[in-house]
Amino acid sequence: MKTYGTEPGIPEPVQVGISELVVTEGDDTLKSYGLGSCLAVALYDPDSDIGGLAHVMLPDGDASDNSDVKPGKYADTAIRALLRRMVERGASYTSVEAKIAGGSDMFEFESFGDGVGKRNIDAARKELEKLGVPLVAEDVGGKHGRTVEFTPDTGKLIVRTANEDHGVSEL
Amino acid sequence: MKLDVNALGTFYRMAREGAGLAAGRLSKMTGVETQVGVTKLNFMRGKEIRADFEDGTEKVGIRVEVTGGLDGHSVIVFDRESALQVVEMLLADSAGDEFDEMSRSAATELGQVMNSGFIDGWADVLETVIDVSTPEFIEAKTVDPFFGDLEEAPDDQDLALLFQSHIEAVGTEISFSHYLFPRRESMAQLLEELRSSDGIEYDKLEGFDRMAEQGATEVAKTATTLTGIETNVEIRRLNFVSLEAIPQQIADDPLVGVAFEFDGTPSGYLLFLFDEDSAHEIVDAMVPMEVDHDGDGFGEMGTSAIKELGNIMASGFLDGWANVLDTTIDHSPPEFIHDIGAAVIDPVVIQLGEDQEFAFVFDTQVVADGQAFDCDIYAIPDEADLERALNDLDVDRIEETPTTAEFGEVE
Repeated sequence: MKTYGTEPGIPEPVQVGISELVVTEGDDTLKSYGLGSCLAVALYDPDSDIGGLAHVMLPDGDASDNSDVKPGKYADTAIRALLRRMVERGASYTSVEAKIAGGSDMFEFESFGDGVGKRNIDAARKELEKLGVPLVAEDVGGKHGRTVEFTPDTGKLIVRTANEDHGVSEL
Repeated sequence: MKLDVNALGTFYRMAREGAGLAAGRLSKMTGVETQVGVTKLNFMRGKEIRADFEDGTEKVGIRVEVTGGLDGHSVIVFDRESALQVVEMLLADSAGDEFDEMSRSAATELGQVMNSGFIDGWADVLETVIDVSTPEFIEAKTVDPFFGDLEEAPDDQDLALLFQSHIEAVGTEISFSHYLFPRRESMAQLLEELRSSDGIEYDKLEGFDRMAEQGATEVAKTATTLTGIETNVEIRRLNFVSLEAIPQQIADDPLVGVAFEFDGTPSGYLLFLFDEDSAHEIVDAMVPMEVDHDGDGFGEMGTSAIKELGNIMASGFLDGWANVLDTTIDHSPPEFIHDIGAAVIDPVVIQLGEDQEFAFVFDTQVVADGQAFDCDIYAIPDEADLERALNDLDVDRIEETPTTAEFGEVE
């Protein structure tokens, strides 16, 4: 795992590693580095400024044995766990909104079928719809990696692409 | 003695649990926030442990013998600087540059608490009791004083299972490694208890290692032939890790890579990763004319040069494997990638994650003296395929296969 040098005065973002999820509030920044086919799912409640970020690796947790131990690993269980932890912290279920980023498919290997990134995107969309959480913005697919930063109080998901364009977009 | 993925998975869980407990105790004692880095089960030879350990810095170790549910030795190793800093925190006083009686006993106590943390973690997972001996304090630059006299530590040419964890104190330079050498008989007994499938003969791990060696040697040779850059194999490791740990090992820097899927017994994925400087150096070496740089990209010529190098290195690597396994392994056309950190490898991890939780990773580093050519090679076979390949492997054949590729006479 990585640690990062501290710049004085600037609070360090909390790193959300692969298969992890973190719920926080206010101006805390959550960050996931180098998402390829992995998917970042950000949920937040604009009224209470409570939000969270998950760095999802696989689509289907309900079909896996260890999703209760590692809910953040799977799109479906990560979304449910984020939502539950946010509500426990005081968020209101009905005002929660979602943004997603990632899910690229950079390799065209035969064994990958329709694409491993696409499977994650589809699973997240489906779970959000099932739970009635509106997906308000997304930056998904393509053939490039992304680094994302999420702050609950603004609800902004900043997406940096790491390929040769060096683009930054704000969702 | 036989092992299977279930048994190794339990071992892995044990190591991770132990690292978590040890990190927690370090935080409690020093008041510094800690985080656990990557935990690995390595299969390494004595000479590779030596190469890995002896990086020229002085080290301080606290070693204990463990008995009971698991027999062996557990060693916490700090860089000397880190150890002195930790001692300063504990004593709330400058420790100076030397270990005196006071700082030595503080370091030993800390090491003891952390060793116990690891061991409690294993005992929890194994649901048993493990006893710990009185700690020994060791200060040295070379590996021998730490592991040299341990019966279970491998000789230069012997292969041993080694547990390695890395823990860092957040916001400081302090970090340390943990090594566990289990005793062979004790491990055999545990493996037998934990095994849930037929598994593979432990001795066939020789085959694993021979595969890795052949593959790596072929790659270095190919790279030298194609680029004219004199390269050699720096590190070669066989790790057993959870899939999530693989992207975590990759730095958050832009990387250039060539990726393949391979098919046969075993099938899996193979990636060659270069830092940007190395990739530019390779293009300069392979393309005779000035290459148009489009921004910080590699252009069509540069991209195809890197793909070509990757393609030939992949063939060499997999031929090395096929040679040991006495089989054929085909690979896909190369896929070029220029992206940041973990993004270059997570698609592969995700695909494998559909069917398996852990992976054997053949982690190899090829470097050049005085020139930028740092290449990290990740070969990640499909777990079931690899088990089958190794089961088919004739152990006698391992002995017959040459350990190194043959080179022509150099005058």
